[in-house]
Amino acid sequence: MSTPAKIKEFIQELSGFASTAESVLTAIEADMEGQKHQFSVFSEKMFAIRGTAQQLNLEEIAKIAGLGEEIAIKGTTAQSRSQIRKCVGSLWDALTTVKYLLEHTGEETNEERGILINRLESTLRAFGGARPTVTADEIEQLLKQRG
Amino acid sequence: MSLHDESNILVVDDVNSMRTQIKALLIGFGFRNVDTVANGEEAKAALTSKAYHLVLADWHMEPTNGMELLKFVRAEPSLKPIAFLMITAESTKERVIEAIKSGVDDYLVKPLTRAQIETKVYTILLKKRTPA
Repeated sequence: MSTPAKIKEFIQELSGFASTAESVLTAIEADMEGQKHQFSVFSEKMFAIRGTAQQLNLEEIAKIAGLGEEIAIKGTTAQSRSQIRKCVGSLWDALTTVKYLLEHTGEETNEERGILINRLESTLRAFGGARPTVTADEIEQLLKQRG
Repeated sequence: MSLHDESNILVVDDVNSMRTQIKALLIGFGFRNVDTVANGEEAKAALTSKAYHLVLADWHMEPTNGMELLKFVRAEPSLKPIAFLMITAESTKERVIEAIKSGVDDYLVKPLTRAQIETKVYTILLKKRTPA
């Protein structure tokens, strides 16, 4: 990584993604069944935040954004209003925390955020868990298998 | 001419921070010709106006994502030989397999280290330079 000014610029970019995600979530909350397709937009924004946060070693932001990304994916196929509401509630928690952390980078992990992460993980499990992922080694194997 | 001089590289990512970082790394390795664009649509325009040897692309972008760009490159005879490295936080198995089946040369999952990018970029470019 380079200068603090550059890091600040990167954080501002991530904050822009968080603002878009907030608008989307507000729209879903106002019309849960009609706007649930917008969960995919929210997921994309969380994905963008996660990827860049990982690259910037902002691990806690990456972790929470990753959970938000997966819960939003579940939201796109949620069958009932109560499931959608559950997703929306969890995503507000995730987004609020991501936004806070973007404004307070470098702050130590606290118990409250640990509890939030556990709660998000629990919600995700209740929806069937995250999509299966592969490690770098597994990707190497898949590439080799291609021949 | 050295690999650094002869290789035209295109970095495609909608996140400015990532473009900046990847370009800085490539310049740091010694590559002289590194261009950046913000999405697959801009990449298509760049690829049809200049001869590139390597594309490093993110997956999720609009308009035209990294997968659509990969398929475009592989379907176009004049672009098909270009090396394509997907650099993304997308690590779901289904997506990785889709990229491999679509002809990606290599696939890197974020967070990336300098060493990972260095190894992948040189390996791909050298392999393309010396066809089997």
